[in-house]
Amino acid sequence: MRPSEFEYHKADSLEQALALLQEFGDEGRPIAGGQSLVPMMNLRLARPAHLVDINGLGLDTIEKKDGVIRIGALVRHERYLAEPLIIDNFPAFIDGVRAIGHPTIRRNGTIGGSLAHADPTAELPLLCMLHDGEIIAASAGGERRLPATRFFEGAYMTVLEAGEMIVAVELPVPPASSSGAFVEMAERRGDFAIAACGVTLEHARGRVTRAAVACSGAGQTAMRAPQLEEALEGLELAHPDAAAAIAAFTETLNPPDDHSASADYRRALVGQLTEQALATACSRAMEAS
Amino acid sequence: MIEITLEVNGETRRLSVESRRLLADVLRQEFNLSGVHIGCAHGACGCCTVHLDGKPRLSCLTFAAQCDGKSVRTVESVGGVGADHPLQKAFRSEHGLQCGYCTPGFIMTLIPFVEEMTAERRMPDEEEIREAMSGNICRCTGYQGIVEAVRKVIGENLEEGAQA
Ligand SMILES: Cc1cc2nc3c(=O)[nH]c(=O)nc-3n(C[C@H](O)[C@H](O)[C@H](O)COP(=O)(O)OP(=O)(O)OC[C@H]3O[C@@H](n4cnc5c(N)ncnc54)[C@H](O)[C@@H]3O)c2cc1C
Ligand code: FES
Ligand code: FES
Repeated sequence: MRPSEFEYHKADSLEQALALLQEFGDEGRPIAGGQSLVPMMNLRLARPAHLVDINGLGLDTIEKKDGVIRIGALVRHERYLAEPLIIDNFPAFIDGVRAIGHPTIRRNGTIGGSLAHADPTAELPLLCMLHDGEIIAASAGGERRLPATRFFEGAYMTVLEAGEMIVAVELPVPPASSSGAFVEMAERRGDFAIAACGVTLEHARGRVTRAAVACSGAGQTAMRAPQLEEALEGLELAHPDAAAAIAAFTETLNPPDDHSASADYRRALVGQLTEQALATACSRAMEAS
Repeated sequence: MIEITLEVNGETRRLSVESRRLLADVLRQEFNLSGVHIGCAHGACGCCTVHLDGKPRLSCLTFAAQCDGKSVRTVESVGGVGADHPLQKAFRSEHGLQCGYCTPGFIMTLIPFVEEMTAERRMPDEEEIREAMSGNICRCTGYQGIVEAVRKVIGENLEEGAQA
């Protein structure tokens, strides 16, 4: 199929893009990598009347400043795999990025597009939640900072308003003695996941001092697991047995039940993936210390 | 309608396109490049892969209007009518194709990978080769012949480099 008619506008500056988005309101959308929007338009699941092309705006740097790593909205997925600021600080993030689609998709898709598209099992929304990310959204009226944990309202739904666009994501730099891992299960390599789990740990003297856990496939959006995170404090890196705490967490889940997996299967899968991610994060922490 | 200038396989042309025209359709219909195959038109099969400013890009997920001033390479720029680029020859000798529908997409996806491995002077393992072509679907060959073709051409390149 082919898209319905629309008007194309190439923005040369952020100000111009925001003015155009404000003018078009609900009828307009930014286009970044086009790797999710154009399939939706070709299938006529999306029919925007106006597209504002933001590819000429720059917004494609990864910088460290004041304890945070700031990732521009137009950074393409493949960039992280060769970026020391990400490789050195966010091992779980790197695991997750490797699982996004295929090389051509990773070369063209952007973080702003992935977050705004909000596929329920996309990797970057989960990873931004896991790493306590903040999403910076701009509109003609100014900027808002939105914690990733409060950005997603449901499958393909975010708190972004008409006229607003993502300009960057900021991830706080973790302390030196930290570790992490991400694991997912998909029907085929490169497909969207059925479920996924990311874990990060801070540790001292062989024990976990702080943990973060985020998973997808467990609900309509990715989510953090605060009770489980608390239960993991004090865990020995050498014996990362947290089966009881993980079971207590998965019991509370109410995952989707659909053609690709039943709710029970997803609940069990999230538990398995969490155990695996936790074990890898612990063994990485031991290797490094 | 939007006025754009496109450089395609060395030929520069100005043309006027509707916003919604896909690059894949413009290449096929305005430039008569029937080697740009459309399998799914939603990013899932890789058949329509071309190089946009030197990098692989799915032409079914690209509007021609976005390509003003850019340079496009299609499979027609590779090996000519004889299809005698070393990777194309290896596809023939290793049974990397049968009906051929997916072949232009595989060739355009894999040429940069072969060049990268040659530049790094290393033979990728099977898993790396399969990852490099994971965005392309082939319904005929079962992929093994394509993996062999990639290995063969990288092997030849490494040998040549070793002699030089
Ligand atoms: C075959 C295939 C497999 C894929 N597999 C995966 C996968 O396994 N995991 C995964 O996560 N993704 C996958 N993707 C999607 C890919 O990661 C996309 O790149 C990403 O979801 C969207 O990024 P984009 O830059 O292409 O956005 P676009 O397609 O350009 O836009 C997507 C949406 O975001 C909006 N948007 C874009 N930029 C901004 C911005 N800065 N601010 C506000 N709104 C914005 C658009 O208006 C649109 O609604 C796959 C895609 C394909 C075609
Ligand atoms: S036709 Fe473009 S990916 Fe299938
Ligand atoms: S050769 Fe027929 S689809 Fe690949």
